[in-house]
Order: sequence, then structure tokens, then C-alpha cells
Amino acid sequence: MVDFLAQYLGSVWLAGTLWALVQVVLVLTVVMISVAFFTWLERKESARIQDRLGPTRVGGRFGWLQPVADGLKLLMKEDLIPAAADRVLFRAAPYVSFCAAFTVFVALPVASGWVALRLDAGVFFVLAVAGLEVLGVVLAGYASGSKWSLFGAMREAAQVVSYEVPLALSAVVPVMVAGSIDPVTIGDLQAGGFWNWLVFHDPFTFAAFFVYFTCAVASVNRAPFDLPEAESELVAGFMTEYSGFRWSVFFMAEYASMLAVSFLAAILFLGAWHGPLPLVAGVYAVLGIPAGHPLAIFVAQLAGAGVFLVKGYLGVATMIWLRWTLPRLRIDQVMTMCLKYCLPLSAAMFLGAAVWLYAFPAGVTSQLLGPGAAATEAAGSPPAVAGRTALAEGGR
Amino acid sequence: MALEGASTDVRRAPSPEVPLGAEVRSETIAGPQATVGQAGGPEADRPSAPLASQGKPVEVAEFDVRTDEILVNMGPQHPSTHGVLRLVLRTDGEVVLEVTPHIGYLHRCAEKIGENVTARQWIPYTDRMDYLAGMNMNLGFALAVEKLLQIEVPEKGRHLRVLIAELNRIASHLVAAGTYGLDLGSFTPFMYCFRERERILDLFELVCGARLTYSYITVGGVTADLPPGWLQKCESFLDQFEPVIDELHVLLTSQAVFIRRTAGIGILPAETAIQYGCSGPVLRGSGVNWDLRRDGEPIYTRMYEGYRWEVIAQTDGRYPQDHPYPPVPKGAVLGDSWHRFYVRMLEVVQSVGLVRQAIEKYSRARGPVGEPIKQSQKLPKAEAYLETEAPKGQMGFLVVGDGTPVPRRCRARSSSFCNLSVLSELCRGCLVADVPAILGSLDIVLGEVDR
Amino acid sequence: MAVHWHSFFFWLMAIMACGFALAVVFSNNIVRMAFYLILSLGAVSGLFFLAGADFLGAMQLMIYVGGTVVLLVFGVMLTARRPWVDMQTSGGQWVLAAVVGALLLAVLLQTAFSVPPWQSSAAAAGALPPAAEPTAGPLGLAMVGVRVERMADRPAAESSSGLAGYLLPFEIVSVHLVVVLVGAAYLARARRRLSAAAPARPLEEAPQ
Repeated sequence: MVDFLAQYLGSVWLAGTLWALVQVVLVLTVVMISVAFFTWLERKESARIQDRLGPTRVGGRFGWLQPVADGLKLLMKEDLIPAAADRVLFRAAPYVSFCAAFTVFVALPVASGWVALRLDAGVFFVLAVAGLEVLGVVLAGYASGSKWSLFGAMREAAQVVSYEVPLALSAVVPVMVAGSIDPVTIGDLQAGGFWNWLVFHDPFTFAAFFVYFTCAVASVNRAPFDLPEAESELVAGFMTEYSGFRWSVFFMAEYASMLAVSFLAAILFLGAWHGPLPLVAGVYAVLGIPAGHPLAIFVAQLAGAGVFLVKGYLGVATMIWLRWTLPRLRIDQVMTMCLKYCLPLSAAMFLGAAVWLYAFPAGVTSQLLGPGAAATEAAGSPPAVAGRTALAEGGR
Repeated sequence: MALEGASTDVRRAPSPEVPLGAEVRSETIAGPQATVGQAGGPEADRPSAPLASQGKPVEVAEFDVRTDEILVNMGPQHPSTHGVLRLVLRTDGEVVLEVTPHIGYLHRCAEKIGENVTARQWIPYTDRMDYLAGMNMNLGFALAVEKLLQIEVPEKGRHLRVLIAELNRIASHLVAAGTYGLDLGSFTPFMYCFRERERILDLFELVCGARLTYSYITVGGVTADLPPGWLQKCESFLDQFEPVIDELHVLLTSQAVFIRRTAGIGILPAETAIQYGCSGPVLRGSGVNWDLRRDGEPIYTRMYEGYRWEVIAQTDGRYPQDHPYPPVPKGAVLGDSWHRFYVRMLEVVQSVGLVRQAIEKYSRARGPVGEPIKQSQKLPKAEAYLETEAPKGQMGFLVVGDGTPVPRRCRARSSSFCNLSVLSELCRGCLVADVPAILGSLDIVLGEVDR
Repeated sequence: MAVHWHSFFFWLMAIMACGFALAVVFSNNIVRMAFYLILSLGAVSGLFFLAGADFLGAMQLMIYVGGTVVLLVFGVMLTARRPWVDMQTSGGQWVLAAVVGALLLAVLLQTAFSVPPWQSSAAAAGALPPAAEPTAGPLGLAMVGVRVERMADRPAAESSSGLAGYLLPFEIVSVHLVVVLVGAAYLARARRRLSAAAPARPLEEAPQ
């Protein structure tokens, strides 16, 4: 892309800069619009669950422009800083969370080859940066200068830091199955129909998906794990003293991280940018369009990006659904759940998946049905990945 | 009007045991290093000492905080304290060592006003005590005055009173259930409970014109008979309400997270409950089989004669059930918050049955519903005290007459006041997040606590 | 006028890392120090990313920024007596710190300039770092004992000399971590029992 632009702009430097800027703006725009959409979705979904309507006035019958109205209102609110607050940290804390939440999207691909930064250790990067959000929370709780905020911040920090472990362990299960920690590779692996999705690869990965989702909900502090924001107990936890724009920055960070973990779940387990059925390839085959044509590839990737976004949005919608249905767990119950249930489960899934891969390296059907079936399976099964080949070749 | 022995000192006394005007000597909180973030305001950390009696110095212990303890202030403006209640928690990290409720924020001198208005004029003041169950408050006071005046309400009026009182019991328990779920983070059942409560309030609006402060049941009877067509509306409400109760069971009573938050929390032994004067679902949730509708004074129990109902309390390990209800889960101990909540849910169904029976008995009864007494009716020089089973517990009213239409003293013994007093005992050693869970299960309303 | 972005970001990260490190040293408030440390270590991880070491950069973020500093902030917050703890460093301490720091700087500079590839600046100027190669896979394999990137340089096809990976250190570190976890869990549990056993101070009743 840089070379393509350099032809028209004359210099590689300018083309590179422009391309980088375009990518940044794209990522930011997509995520910000998603976040605004989620505020609307939360209000509508919660309203419908509670037998009422939700926003119906701003922007027509469905209240589409409600997020815009909310954003304007928050921007125009008075900027309050409590007298007891540490001014520097109070101001900086929301932006630490915000940056951590949004940086994650830099490494997440939306389609094969459509990624802002193709990192070889992409999944690891995502998990590392997603865990940095807790710093903003802890700083906010401390800097607010009130006991309630400190309470909430400490609880949240304990929760997020603890749940990082089973989250990472259950995320490692599909990485192990795929043989690569590069999200683009993992996504490419799941091409074809939904039967190739990693969640259906073996029962351990299937269980790991649910453990991952539970830990993801806990690590973004959504109900039933939303003690730090518990309105009825600590007013708003670490966010009690934040109002106006700063509060909206925190909320943007929260929704962005919800979207990020849903995207990661889609990449690792749910087939990334591939639909349940290989429709695009099928349409191309039927219409006789050469699949190698750049425009055809572009359209296919666009369709893939759309599918990927839908999967992420469905994940967020499920989290919203959970929030408005279940009561809240107490902090010690949250920690018990993490340390006594999620962690052993994810470790067991890890072990089980490793054993499964050792027992059935080429897929379970080929192993059981014999070498004849193996040949046909090899054509359709996920391709062997670089790591395993290297091991097979060089390990002697 | 000055009563003998009373002062004209208008400062509030928090309770009759601590008379006005005494000196208070209190220890101060030890040092700023005891609390984190104390720069938030010293007022936030020091609980206010109640005024104490004249003569004897009352030592009210202010908190002497060790360096690893925090004083946390919940309220008076707090989403989960069910009104203007201030709770001061002394905690060690997450574990609560002590809870001190500070009340009086909603005190409106109702009892003093009762010395200046006639009995019928005081009925609206009873409305505002337990404002979620105004009809029951009206009923309690009306019955007390009727006991004093020794007048009898005709049969039709009694059935009407049962109908209205039980309907209001349903409404009050719906608020209790919904707000309890809300305290624990379950937002949706709150909306469902209030949706059903809206229908009850619409029914009440048709009866007396008001949605919350009814002043409908008055001394001698009711202010007006039911409007035509009301009974059909009431029956259709009950028909559509019964599936909603099952929905609430799914969302709350048998929901795993709700059970984890309430089972085994705030266990109140029966002995302690009786000693603290607890009543209502709080008492019955501890297994004490006591209900004033069966065990109270004749003037009150006569209303419920001929009705088929049972006291909802666990006897011999089981609840009276003739419907398939969610079973008691593992981990729920008799006297914990889950049992108190469960008693309320069962009482809702019980009340639905009572309302249906009352509709039927009311339709069959003949005669007047009862004429309210005249405003000029003189009260005899005697006193009468009557306790009735309000939704939140035993609500008692004392009327002391002195030969004029205006009583000499009106006193309300509130159930929530006694139920609240057991809070500090229940919260010892629990976690901070359990305090709303326990408080919600006690189901207090501050209008009643402070009067 | 072409902006050499690599140099620009290098200078930005370097200035951030050094600047916030200085802020850590010169700040009086402990929690602000922790915050500046977060920013400084984040800038260091940025430097790793610039050098093409994605895995190491992510590791830096996860371990140093995410792990160590969270612990630091926790510890600082829970022990702070007042909302802002001001640390007053005396003049003598400043002198001592300056001397020790200067000595360390001298040692580091001397070591850095004695590395042969870093001595000539001509080779480095204008050259971009090599394109990012996949590093995660080979790193992972090295941890389990196979140095795949050295396979091409093997003198003989049969000999496996020079291929030994980091399996042994990996195992040793894992065992160490388990020991640390078990120890921490044991220590935390014992303290909890102690505080739960301390009786609540009884309230004095108002005498009648």
C-alpha cells in the first residue's frame, strides 16, 4: 500500500506517513463509532429486557442520535475536581485507561491482511495491553481522594489482575491448537465453514471458550462482576468523583475493552472473519469470478470484516444481556470463582487440549478413519502451521 | 398544650430512653493516620452523637479507630439504604466490625402533631409513616381508635378492609422484593415488580383518588365504598399477576447468584429476633410462627375469621405450601436473608388468595361498609393500644383520650424501628457488600422508623 | 524534507523514558512517582517495539508495567498515611545519589562503547532496522530446547551442537515461580486468620 501511494505522492516518506495516519484514523473511527453504538445498544437492550422502550425520541423512533445527545451533554458539563484530589493523577487517570483500551485494536485484524500492525506476538500483545487498563482505574480511585473510590479501585484491581491468569490460560488453548500466536494466522486457519472454527476443534477448546468468555466479562468489570461500579453499594466505585467528559472517557474505555475481548474471542474461537458457511467463495465459484482478482479479494475481505464486526457486536450484546439479568457477585465470591473455578478449569483445558493434539495431530476424523480418509481430510483440514513443521523437521 | 413532665425543648430525642438535654461526653477519633483520605472532610468520618438526657452524663462511644481500620459512611444519601438512613461502618478492609445506624433524618413530629388534631385528622399522618403500605397504617390506627371508642365496623366493611389491606401488602412486598434485587445488582426484577405495583396503585387510585397517601380506611369504616366495576378490575389484575410471581422466582428466589448473595448471610436466631422485638417477615423468617392476624387482639383477628390462610413460617422444617414453589436451596440457613425474602414471596401468594376470598365475601355481604365517625366525636378518658400485622411487621398505635375530640397522646410503635435495631447485631463480621443485602432483607422504610 | 519517523519515535521514546525516570527521582509524592515509572517503562517497551522485538516489548508491558507497577501502586497506596506523602530528600542524600548515579553511568557508557558493532556510527546512520521477522515462534521453540534459527548454520547435519535451547533455565524459573506462589498464598492466609480472630471492640451502652 505504501508503494502504491508513493507512486502518486512521489516520496516514500510521505506515503508511509499518510498510510499510517489513515490506519490510525480508521481504527479510531471504527472503535469510537462502535462505542457510541454500544451506549445506544445498552439502553435499548436493557429497556427491552425490563419491559420498556428506551430512547425513542432523539433521531426518530429508535433514538439513533441518543449517543450524540449524550456525548454533547457530557462535553458541556461542568469540570469538577474534588478539593481532596491529586490534580495531576486525577486528570491523567482516564486517559491511561483510554489509551490502554484503544491500543489493543492496533494489533487486532479485521480481515485477512487488514490489520494496523501485524505483530508476530499479536495475541500476547493484546492480553498484555488489555491488562494495563487497571492502572487507570487504580490511579483514579486513589486520586479522587475519597475512601469509596479507593475501595472500588482496590477491588477492581484485585479482580482484573486475578482474572488475567485464567483469561490468558484459556486464550492459550486455541493458540496451542493453531500453533501460532499471530492473530492473522489463527484467523486464516479457520477458513471454510463453521466446522473449522477452533471452538469446535475439540471439547477442551469448546469448554475453554466459555471459560474465556467468563473471564473476559470479569476482566472488563461487567455484571455479574461489576462490583467496582456497583451503584447500590459504592455509588460508582472508583468513578464516583468523575463527571462530564472524564467520566465519558472511562466509559469509552470500558466499552472499547468489551469490544476488544469480544474481537479476540471471535479470532481465537469463533472463526474470525469467516462466516458460518463459505458463501463468498461459493458465490465466486458460481459466478465464475476469478478469486485472485484484486477487487474480488477486496470484496471478500470487506465481507470478512463485516462478519467479524458482527461477531464482536454479538459478544458485546451478550455481555449487556448478562448485565441486566444477573445480580452481582460479592468480591470474595468473584475471587473464589476465579481462583477455585476458572483457574483450575482453564489449566485442565490447557492440559486436555495438549493431550488431544498429541493424540490426534492431524484431526480426530483422519486419525480414527485411517490413512485414506487422512488424505481427503488433509485437503480440507487446517493447514499445518510453521511451528509444528519446524519442530517436526528440526527436532531430531 | 403542655403535658406534665414534658419540656418545651424542641430538639429531637432519638428515642424515649435518651431524654432531651443531657450532656454527651465522647471520645474522639484517634488521629488522622487512622483513616485514608480523610481530607475528604472530617464530618464524613465522625459520626454525630445523639443528644442525651439532662442530669446524667451519657457516654456515647465514638469510634476509637485503630490504624488498620476504616470508618465508612453510607448515607444518608445512598442508593441502597432505603431512604435517608446513615450507616457508619467500622471496617477492617472488607470485613465489617460494627454498624451504627443514625436515624432521624425523616422525623416529622407526627406524634406531637397527633396531640393537636382529631383522630380522623391524624389518619393522613399515619399514611406517611410506612408510605409503601399506607392502607395498613390507616387500618392500624383506625382499629386502635375504634377499640378506644368501642365501635364495631359492620361485616361488609371488615371484608373490604381485608381486601384493601392485603392488596397493599402485595404492593409493599413487591417493592421489598424489587429493591432487594436492585441492591444486589439485579436491575430487571425491580422493573417487573414496579410494573405490577403500578397496576395496584391504579386500583387504589380508583378507590380513593390517591396513589400513595390514601387516608382511605378511617375510624369507623372507610371514606367511600368501592366504585362499580372495581372488583372485576381487581380480579383481572390478580389473574395476570400470578405468572409474574413465577418470573420473579426465576429471576430472584432460585437464581444461583442471588442465593449466593443471600443464603447464610445475616442469620438471625429466633431468640435474638424476639429479644429485639422484631416482627413480620423478619421474625417469621427465623422460624417463629407468629402472625397478629391469627394471634393478635380480637378486634383485629375478627377481620380474618373465616378466611383460609396459613401463617408463613417454617415449622418442622417446611413451609406451608400448596403450590409448587422453588425449594429451599442448599446453604440457606433458617433466619438468613434468603428465608426472610422467601417469606415475603410466599406472603404475596398468600395475600393474593386472601384478596380473592375477600372479594367473594365482600360481594356476598350485605349492609353498609361503615360510616366514619364525626369530627366532633369525643374520645373517652381512657387509652387503647393495638398492634396490627403491617407488611413490614407489627405496627402498634396507642391512643390516649381525654374527653375531647383531640387525643391527648398518639403514639406509633413502628415495626421498622425494631427491625432496624437488629442490624448492628446481624452485620458483625460480614463483608461490606453484605450490608445492603442484610438491610434489604430487613425491609425497613425510614418514614416508619423516624415517624 | 523527509521526516525520518524511526529516529523521531526513537527520540520521543528515549526522551520520555529518561524524562520520566528523572521525574521519578525528583518527585516528592510516592504515587506520582509510581505513575511516572509506568510511563517510563512504557516508553522503554516502545523502544523494544521500534527495534523489532515485538515479543519482548509485549513482555515488558505485561510484566513490568502491568505486573510490577500494579504491585508498586498497591503497596504505596495501602501504606500511605495521608493522601499525599511528601518525601523530603536531604542534601547529603542527593550528593550520594549523584555520585552513585554518575559511577553507574560511567560503567554503562564504557561497556556500551566497547561493543564493536556499536562503535561506528556510519553504519547505523540512515539504515532502517531489518524488517520484522517472526520471532514469537522461534522464541517459544527455544524455550523448549530447540534453537530453530541456528539450524541453518549447523556444521554437520547429524551434530546437534549449538542447538541447545533454554529448556533448563525455563524449568528452573517455573519451579521458582511455583515456590513463590505457594509461599505468597501461605503468607496471605496466615495473616487473614489473625485479623479475623481479633475480637471487635464492644460499644459502651448508654446508661439508663
